[in-house]
Amino acid sequence: MQDALKITLLSGASQWKRRFLQPLLRQHSALVGLAIIAVYVIAAVFAPWLATHDPAAQDLMASLQGPSAAHWLGTDSYGQDLYSRLLYGAQLALIIGFASVALGLVAGVAIGLAAGLMGGRTEWVLMRIVDGLLAFPELILAMAFMAVLGLGTENVVYALALSFVGPFARMTRGDVLQVKNQPYIEAARLMGVPTAAVIWRHVLPNVVSPILVQAGMRVSIAILLESGLSFLGIGVVPPTPDWGLMIAEGRAFITMAPWISGVPGVALAILLVALNLLGDGLRDAYDPNTRKDA
Amino acid sequence: MQAPIFSLLDVERTYELRGRGWLNRTPRKLKALDGVRLELQRGDTLALVGESGSGKSTLIRLMLGLEPASDGRVLYGQRDLAQLDAEERKRFAREVAFIYQNARGSMNPRMRIADILAEPIRLHRLCEESAIADRVVALIERVGLPAGLLQRFPGELSGGQIRRVAIARALAAEPRVILADESVAGLDVSVQAQVLNLLRELCRESGITLVFITHDLGVASYLCDRIAVLYLGRIVEQGPTEAILNTPRHPYTRALLQAFPRFDMPLKASLSGEIPSPVDLPKGCRFAGRCPQAQSACRETDPVLTAHDAGRQVACLFPVASV
Repeated sequence: MQDALKITLLSGASQWKRRFLQPLLRQHSALVGLAIIAVYVIAAVFAPWLATHDPAAQDLMASLQGPSAAHWLGTDSYGQDLYSRLLYGAQLALIIGFASVALGLVAGVAIGLAAGLMGGRTEWVLMRIVDGLLAFPELILAMAFMAVLGLGTENVVYALALSFVGPFARMTRGDVLQVKNQPYIEAARLMGVPTAAVIWRHVLPNVVSPILVQAGMRVSIAILLESGLSFLGIGVVPPTPDWGLMIAEGRAFITMAPWISGVPGVALAILLVALNLLGDGLRDAYDPNTRKDA
Repeated sequence: MQAPIFSLLDVERTYELRGRGWLNRTPRKLKALDGVRLELQRGDTLALVGESGSGKSTLIRLMLGLEPASDGRVLYGQRDLAQLDAEERKRFAREVAFIYQNARGSMNPRMRIADILAEPIRLHRLCEESAIADRVVALIERVGLPAGLLQRFPGELSGGQIRRVAIARALAAEPRVILADESVAGLDVSVQAQVLNLLRELCRESGITLVFITHDLGVASYLCDRIAVLYLGRIVEQGPTEAILNTPRHPYTRALLQAFPRFDMPLKASLSGEIPSPVDLPKGCRFAGRCPQAQSACRETDPVLTAHDAGRQVACLFPVASV
């Protein structure tokens, strides 16, 4: 008995490795993406210690300087240190990216579950709302919400989250429709499992992996949209250190001081590429629809 | 005599088929079950035998309350299945277990075997939280599987193993009735024997009432004391296993027996043709079209299930005489 338990515990750990770690380790490009993202996350988390200046401190005497010992990546037109702003900008970008996707995911999955499980009129109403959300491109939708909600970091998160509800809801509903007719759902009901437990234990785990993969890919879209909104002046309010804002500020000086837009632009591009690499890798590793080796 | 544990009173189940196109909207009716009367005493082991499409699975689904009866009543104990309140429904869920034909499909692929077996125990609070692990180990050993399988996922088990896990899960809730749908079909012979022996032991030891769907008369005779033969949604013959196998009274039962391959006899196709569509049932006996000894009266009168000798009922105007 003791032995048996020991064996099961050991094999439990190796099972976990085999199911979750190994498929990912096989995706080399995903690992590259992961490494780059790790650098960004470290930069964001330790920004207060890594930064050399206050990101919002203006020093007009030192404006429009190129990279130097005092300002490693130069300064912008207000004399703000670009290196410090870049670090804090990473913080903001990652927080907004993940928070908005998480929020959109929770709402979208809830709507998708409700529509898929209840069916009938509820499903019809919910899915028509989702269709409405999906009719607009994300950027347009987010802009519209920003116009309603007003400027500010929090509102950017809400606007982006709202624009992600549609895709998550539709995807969840599709998978739920497939799963709810599986015999194990009926078996659980027959055993007398309460509805909430059926959803939590039997439906959700079987629809969650493609949704999480999708979420991973959406983070990069969220960061891009957030920068876009800020660039257009309907996102984060200055002097918050934000990449989109920084690019917009540097636009006027692009010939004299290309580093002002260039530094955040390159940082953004690299992060997006890394996120996409990771997202593709996650999809190849876990999404049953595209799994090749299963 | 004690009250029956399950009684089916003239149960019917019809499905409406909508006509194709919107000019032809007259709904047609498909009769999957047509006046089934059945009683199960505690400790009974009953085999439901019949060809594909004879209504075996529909009958089971009605007994589980998964589908409502269109007419007639399904009683569990004294209560109508359609009128159970929440409390009774919970009790029914615990006392009646179902083993799916598709054992693998009836288990959540994302749950470990240990959790699958623990679920009904936890659900019905059959023992202390701390004792659940021991109970699960006992269950898996009861069906002759090593405890090492507990940490696996259903997709990693073989066909024979997964069926035994399905039996273990059915036992987990300590049921009084087990309904099993083709639980050994498609297994190779040695594994089939193991599963059958396991089921037989369980019934003998714990007095579980068993209803077993099969189209294999050999399996039916090994496992069950009683056999009910279904044809096109109606029981055409039922009675003690031995009597039915030795002296089939209904021509359909006899044909089924002759279709059973034997070592020492050449096999002749005893039943020609397909089971007719249950949409437009012919007038008269529903087996008349395929019956080797059909007479003109058979095409006019629909025979009812009538009692013959000891515990036997046959629905035939001209039952085969005992040899």
